[in-house]
This record gives sequence, structure tokens and C-alpha cells, in this order.
Amino acid sequence: MRRLSRLPGEAWVALSCAALFALLAPAVPGFASAGNLRNLFSSLLPLVAVAVGETLVLVTGGIDLSVTAVIALASVLGARVMTADAGLLAGNPLAVPAAVAVMLATGLAVGTVNGLAVARLRMPPFLATLAVTTFASGFAIWLTRSEGIAGLPAGFRALGAGRLGPFPTALVVVLPLALAAHALLARTVAGRWLFAIGGNARAARVSGVPVERATLLAYVTCGACAAVASVLYTARLETGSPVLGQRLFLDVIAAVVIGGTSLFGGRGSVAGTVLGALFITLLDNGLNLRGLSSFTVLMVKGAVILAAALVDAARERMQGSR
Amino acid sequence: MTVREWAAAGLLVAVGIGLACSDTRKGDGASGTVGVAFETLQTEFWVAGIDAIRAELGKSQLGMLEAIADGDANRQLEQVRGFIARGVDGIIVVPKDAKSIVPTIRAANEARIPIVLFNRPADPSGARSVAIVADNLGIARATVEHLCGLARKTGRKQKAAILVGDLGDANAIDRRDGFDQAAAACADAMDVVARIPTEWNQEKALAGVTNALQAHPDLGLVFTSSDFMLPSIASALKTAGRYRKAGEEGHVILGGFDGDATAWRMLVDGTLDATGVQDVFFEAEAAVAAIRDLRAGKDVPARILDRGFVIHSGNRTEVAARMWGAKVAGAKEAGATR
Repeated sequence: MRRLSRLPGEAWVALSCAALFALLAPAVPGFASAGNLRNLFSSLLPLVAVAVGETLVLVTGGIDLSVTAVIALASVLGARVMTADAGLLAGNPLAVPAAVAVMLATGLAVGTVNGLAVARLRMPPFLATLAVTTFASGFAIWLTRSEGIAGLPAGFRALGAGRLGPFPTALVVVLPLALAAHALLARTVAGRWLFAIGGNARAARVSGVPVERATLLAYVTCGACAAVASVLYTARLETGSPVLGQRLFLDVIAAVVIGGTSLFGGRGSVAGTVLGALFITLLDNGLNLRGLSSFTVLMVKGAVILAAALVDAARERMQGSR
Repeated sequence: MTVREWAAAGLLVAVGIGLACSDTRKGDGASGTVGVAFETLQTEFWVAGIDAIRAELGKSQLGMLEAIADGDANRQLEQVRGFIARGVDGIIVVPKDAKSIVPTIRAANEARIPIVLFNRPADPSGARSVAIVADNLGIARATVEHLCGLARKTGRKQKAAILVGDLGDANAIDRRDGFDQAAAACADAMDVVARIPTEWNQEKALAGVTNALQAHPDLGLVFTSSDFMLPSIASALKTAGRYRKAGEEGHVILGGFDGDATAWRMLVDGTLDATGVQDVFFEAEAAVAAIRDLRAGKDVPARILDRGFVIHSGNRTEVAARMWGAKVAGAKEAGATR
């Protein structure tokens, strides 16, 4: 038991995922089928993209509420560039790369605004990113008058539904993204700056950490990750939607917190977040397939997230009392 | 035991409890299972819809798996793919919107599982589905024609307002067009002075009607594109001192669309003059029949129309049994008196 307790946090989340799978596989018909595992994978990857970005921000002790608004705004801006229905570059062979570039630029721009508001203007992250969310969501709806944009090129749609052997095409995008974020957080000086800011921003500043620059980096990366998720979600739905991802935030926070990242900052890992996203995706899929009513699924998910947050708070108290 | 071990145990216990409490919704002796995916259950109409489908599936010895996307088109796609992986015998979906549902239909087509769209159609595409849709335009037009008749009886031209829904929703557009057609034919008895955009939002409806009553204190006729905005209208009329029953001095001729429980109660107490009713029971019956026929390899038209009906004080007792809101109101009142 003592050896078990020395396992890193990620190993516990991995064991929890394995146990959940073992629990659901015999209880839920079709859960372990090849088709459903493919579904699980394609649901997991965009969530991983957006949750990885959120991890970097939470590690600094901040929060970025605007990831869902980035997903929606990037979705409609990209779709307006490439749609065959009077898109700006309709029929042009460069339409897809240009649209993807616009989507990524949207994420970077929103992330920059968030980062500057938090780092330079010292606005509370909750307030700054809530204001940006409200603006970006309203802008997306105003641009489209609430209407989805269809007629997206086949080359773009392949990002959502295409396969490379047994793996979805999205893996080619999300795997390098997660590895890069892991390297940034665990292997670079910038990553150590982020942990230092989350641990104690004032002490970090005194120690020579460029707090403003590092905070900006976290928010800009988070915006970019949300834009990548937007590309994948938009491609899956074959539609640019001004309300895309509107209800996703709870899942994002659940993935990050279950993965062991502290809501208080200073602790977290990309590997944990990936496993946290896997846990929440397995839970969501399994409970739905089990035939539970949607209200019960919401309650179970809420209970799981609450449990993870309580553990985080307890751990924080224990560290504080040492 | 460390905190982490407690956490892992807690998470698994939570899931275990959830599973233990669940049932797979496939009743004993069921001859198959149908996946039912709704976009939302946030209004009474959708709750009545899913209840009616559940009852119809029960009659056909079919079990039901349900999933609610909570307004998220991506989640809806995942849920339907889950149904496909589970190997259901048919799928009934209320799409989030007409465009983003297309990949979902295509996924069902590829798995050769019949798919029926309930109450909302999809945009034209190569994907095959059956859509059960209300004749929004026709029902709205018939409702406003009835209101027009009441306006004529007052002997003076009434100033009229319409509460328009979200114009990204084809149903909202059809209801507005139905109103416009009837209003154009009723130019002698009504003059449209206000078009209130609501985006299906009760607060916007309240603010819009309040403003319209400020600008036109003698407003005489209001039509709402959905009954769920009736409480907002009633609130604005009360504030303006115009919430009166039919036959009372200063009564505002009031009409709606949907046929919900609030509309039924207002109809009974005389503050609502008419509402266009979507026949949820017909739509549920048609959806389940379409699944059955498609499974049997029979031809089913791509679009099945619910012609609905208008309920008003003159026919209230005869058609109440077909009004889903009357049933909901009756059930609530029965629950309250228990």
C-alpha cells in the first residue's frame, strides 16, 4: 500500500480510467466495440486540445473562461472564409489553409487580449476572460445572425472524419500539440516560470521571473489550443456554428481538475489533463450508452467533478498546514 | 490511505452508484431499441415530446435509450454515434439546427439505421432521413386569422404586435410568415405597429412588449411565435393595466403558438383568445411509425406534415384532449391536489 501511495498523480488517474473501463465494458452493451472506441477517440481529441491550453493557465493560478467563445468565433470566421456558399475564398485551392490560419489567428488574438488584460492591466482573470467571452460570443452571433454556415470543403471536413490507418486524422494534430505543451511545461524554463507564478506570483517576481511575459504566454497558448479544438469540432460538424462549444467548459475544467491540476495554481501536468479528459469522455460515453437519463448523467458528472475539486482543496489545505 | 486513494475510490463509487441506479430503458420483452436524442428538455414542449415518444415506443414494444445534448451539436453527434455503436434499431433526433445535423444523419445512413428528425427538418443534402414537422406557417396563419375575426368584431382597426422568434430557426421564420400572410389579408381590422425580436428569450420578450405598450398604449392585438413567452406578455400587460379577460373593456386580443400548459390555463381563464397547437401526439406516433416502416423496408415520405389545429374558446372542450399543454396542466394540477 505504501508503494502504491508513492505513485505519481497521473498513474492514479490512469488506474482510475482503467478501472472505469473495466467497470463499464461488461455493463454497457457496445461500449468496448471497435466502433465505440473510435467514437471515444474522436470525442476525446478536441477536448484534449482545449483542456491542455486551459492547464497552462490554471497552473499560473488563473482561469480562461473564453475558450468556448474562441471555439465559436474561430468556427464562424473560418467557415466564412472557406464555405462554398459565398465564402470569401470559395472554390480557391488556398481556402482551407487560409481558413485554418484565420481560425488560429482568432485564438491567438483572443489569447493576447486575455493575457494583456490579466498581466498588464492586472484584471482578475475571471472578470477579464468573462468580458472577452461575452464580447466574442456576441460577435459570433452578430456575424451569422445565429445561423450555422455549411458548405465547408471536403479537404477541411476530412480533419474531423478522416482516418490514418486505425487512427483519426485529428490525432496528427492533437498528439504533437499535447507533446509540445508537455515539453513546455515540464522541460523548459518558461514552464518553471508558470509553476512559480501559480505558486506565489509575488515571490516569483522578486526571484526574477518575467511574470507578465510568462502569463501572456499562458493565455496566448490557451487561445491557440482552443482554436485548434475549434478546427476539429467545426470539421466534425461540417458547419461553422456561432454556438459551437457553448456548453463545453464544464468538461474542460473537469478534465483538467481530474488530471490533478490545482485550481489554486502551482501544480499540474499535461499528461494528467490528457488522462482526465479520457476519464470524463469514458464516463460521458458509458453513462449515455447505459441508457441513463440525461439528468442522471449530469448529476453523476457533477458529483465526480465535485469530488475532484474537494480533493484538490484538501490537498491545498494539507500543503498549507505543513 | 492517501487523499489520492480516497479520490480514486470516491470517483469509482460515484460511477458505481450511478450504474446501479440506472436502467437500460429496454423493457422486458422489447422487440428492439430506439435511440432518442433531443437537443434540449428546457421547455415543456420538448418534455411533452419525449414523453409522447416514450409512450408510443412502449405501445410498439420498443425500448428507448435517451440522450439530451443540452444545446450542443457536437455532443449530439457523439450521442448518436454512441447509439450506432450500441446497435440500436432506429434513431429519433431533435436536431440542434438544420445544418449541423447532416453529419449525424450521414453516420446513421452509413450504419443502415433508420433516422427520423422530430419537429425540426434538416437542410437539403444527400443524407437520407424522415422529418416530422409541424405546418408552422399554416398553423400560425390560421391562428392569426382567428384573431383577425375577433378584431373585426370590435368594430375598429386594432394596433397589432408580433413577437418574432430566433430567425436562425426555420420554425420561427415560418411562424412569422404565417402571421404576415394573415395580417396582410386582415388590413381592414389590424395594423401591425410592432415587430419584437426575442431570439426565443423571455427577458427580451418582456422588454419588447413593455416598449411596444409605451409607444402604443392602445395596442389591441398581440401574437407570440411561442407560448413560452406568454408569461412575459402577461407581465408587461399587467404593468400597463391591460391584462384583462376577453369581453372586458381594454382586453388585448392575444394569440400564441405551441399549445403549452400556460396557454391552456390562460385560455381557460379567458386572457388568451387562441393558440396554434402542434400535435405532439401525432408527431410522436408518426415518428415511431416511420421507424417501424423503415425497419420493415417500406417506403416512407421524406417529410411528414403535422397540420396541427387552432384552439380557442369556441372549440376548447372538443379539442382539449389533443392539446398537449392541457394534458400537462391537468397532470400538474392532479399532482398539486394529491
